[in-house]
Amino acid sequence: MPSAVAPPPRELSTTPPPVEVPRALAPPPGLHLVPKVCCLCGVEDADPIGVGEDFEYRTSSDTFLAVRCRRCGLIYLNPQPADEEMGRIYPDHYHAFDFKPEEFGFVYRVRRRLEARRALKWCHDLPADARILDVGCGDGFHLRLLKEFGKPGWSLEGVDTDPRAVAHARAAGLTVHHGNIQELPLPADHYHLALMVMTVEHMTDPVGVLRTVRRVLKPGGKVVLVTDNAGSPDFWLFRGRHWGGYHFPRHPQLFTKSTLRKLADVSGFETERIVTPFSPVNWAYSVRNLLDDWGAPRWLVNRFTLKSTPAMAAFTLFDLPLSLVGCGAILRATFRKPAEETRGGA
Amino acid sequence: MKPVVIVGAGLAGLTAATYLRRHGVPVRVFEAGKNIAGLARSERDAGGFTYDFGAHFITNRLAAAVGVSASCRAMPRYGETVWLRGRTYSYPFGLMRSLPFALSAAVAKLGAPFRRTPTTADEWYRSAYGGKLAKEVAVPLTEAWSGAPANELAASVGAKFATSLPRTIMLKAAAAVTQRTVAVGYSGTVPESPHVWHVYPDGGIGAVCERLADEVRDAIQTQSPVEAIHVEAERAVGVRVAGEDIEAAGVVSTAPVHVLPKIVRGTERLAYLSRFRYRPMVFVNVKLDGPSGLPDVVTWTPGPETPFFRLSDIGAGLPWLVPAGKSLVTCDIGCQVGDATWTAPDAELGKLCVAALDKLVPGTSARYLGCRVMRTPLAYPVYRLEYEDDRKRFEQGTGIEGLVSVGRNGEFAHILMEDVYWRTRRKVMSLIGSTAPAEAVRGCP
Repeated sequence: MPSAVAPPPRELSTTPPPVEVPRALAPPPGLHLVPKVCCLCGVEDADPIGVGEDFEYRTSSDTFLAVRCRRCGLIYLNPQPADEEMGRIYPDHYHAFDFKPEEFGFVYRVRRRLEARRALKWCHDLPADARILDVGCGDGFHLRLLKEFGKPGWSLEGVDTDPRAVAHARAAGLTVHHGNIQELPLPADHYHLALMVMTVEHMTDPVGVLRTVRRVLKPGGKVVLVTDNAGSPDFWLFRGRHWGGYHFPRHPQLFTKSTLRKLADVSGFETERIVTPFSPVNWAYSVRNLLDDWGAPRWLVNRFTLKSTPAMAAFTLFDLPLSLVGCGAILRATFRKPAEETRGGA
Repeated sequence: MKPVVIVGAGLAGLTAATYLRRHGVPVRVFEAGKNIAGLARSERDAGGFTYDFGAHFITNRLAAAVGVSASCRAMPRYGETVWLRGRTYSYPFGLMRSLPFALSAAVAKLGAPFRRTPTTADEWYRSAYGGKLAKEVAVPLTEAWSGAPANELAASVGAKFATSLPRTIMLKAAAAVTQRTVAVGYSGTVPESPHVWHVYPDGGIGAVCERLADEVRDAIQTQSPVEAIHVEAERAVGVRVAGEDIEAAGVVSTAPVHVLPKIVRGTERLAYLSRFRYRPMVFVNVKLDGPSGLPDVVTWTPGPETPFFRLSDIGAGLPWLVPAGKSLVTCDIGCQVGDATWTAPDAELGKLCVAALDKLVPGTSARYLGCRVMRTPLAYPVYRLEYEDDRKRFEQGTGIEGLVSVGRNGEFAHILMEDVYWRTRRKVMSLIGSTAPAEAVRGCP
């Protein structure tokens, strides 16, 4: 039964919390954000689906909104950080710029083995003098694998927009072009294979980039894309806020099998194949983000990162059966540039 | 290319303007008043108190969508309490824990399958909440904010507030686990979620509209009332502003709907809207020394012993709008334009409210520092039974091609800020297809 007579005094109402935040502790200011439309439909007709912050790097005090296009199902951030904010949302210690083996230990060695096998599979039908372009190569992880395990006659090149990542890749002796592929003077009809591994979801204009990739590929050439699967159980479970694949705000678009097919269509590719390999990463980071957001102790939060072997192993076992039934945590698509095609399209 | 003309630069008008411009549609926004933001604006006085036009609430999701999240703070607390004859009941679970209320509600639920569908608000509340809760809480509150007897109001008044109990329990549990002010009952257009909670801009609610206006600043003309909306062959073709006729590809109106029949020229199709009525409201912002002592951020007072029906403790929910050591309580009083409340001097209204606050929290009057009064003739749409069929017809649209009516006033609907934002975007989408150049629509701007 409710208490009788006058309302009881509440501690919270008697002392308003102090308003001033000490300068040194003040959160970083907001990013310059710009509105976006669905890059596949060209219209903003979307429902809000997830709302969250930069749980991993805390690069700004913004809250980000993930929406789903009501027409094609694409998940995208709206608004998105403006181009000039890239230096800020990818801090110097961003993991893909310089993936240090010693920090990741056993997981790194396993991942390297696994990725080497996967990468060689994508290249199995290439000629001995094939030209391969890694778009968004980061510190050159996959290029190094191909250099080490691939055919000696292959010509390997990378492209990345971040100067820090490019510097690391070049230091490893790789040929890497610095800049946006849409603005680089790469030759047309030149490459046999393009790789976009965990790249397309980082791009603000994936259609423009893919049209450029189509231009530089030989007729019949292929592009292999690997990206987070926004049609997976981990997405459905954590989509409201903590899903690791959001990687707020560094993944401005996220795909499903059907939106990847549409991406191929609007960029002038034929979809050859889409599969869902297993990956523990989004599961682990979804749990990590939830724990971090709900104030769990650091030691527990840190049990759910790329550096944690038990978490990676456990979620690998978890995602493996899901991947076998087509619901793995990542997507791998092979798009082919039509052999008989009209020039242009970039 | 002819612009789409937007009537009114409040939240709905600015949402429409930014949405259309982002899709390459030229826009012109005409605002009758001196300032933008309509009811969603803020003012700050010399003493450091910030006043909004009545209490407003937004969520982290709306703040993120508009792009003002970095200048928002999470509300440290949010809760609602009903004050009834000296007793307080937290809403909704405190009311349910009261045996008489719970019994009467249970009886109503059991009898529901045997009753006919409610027609009036009175019947709706009785069947949904039980006779006792309807009589003592829901009906008096509805009558206070509607200004009409509950048996003259349509059942749709109540249906607007219908929420599912399991969902409320889930959201309240999420609030307890996450220690956040999870929003319950603040969005009907997009789903509620444990991850959507109350936030508020640093400098008051006006920041939301200012952010939107930044995108279309050059298209806004204040002090420019739209005198006429021209309709030809049941299609909106232009407007008249300050005696000048302007051709338009479409018109988005945020004007109160009973005004539309007076300004829409060239059709009689909207004549039925002239019967629609809004409830005027006076907001008395009472400044106090020390804490208010109120039980919750929102306190409902359905009883006849208080002139107001709702109190919002701004200092408790939004401490950054109030100087340290002080408090600000917004008292909502329903009235009619020109009646004794509407015309009462501010000081008198302040005294009236403080005297009533004394009944809730003894000693309030000794800490009274003064008040600031705000009045609006358009606080709530009144869902009178006499025009309920017309209201439902209007829900389907204006019936005039290229004329879209949006926002709380324009939709004649009790919708909250987040609803206004999402609904407006969906409603004006129809104006994009026919007017946007294909190239502007292509690709991300």
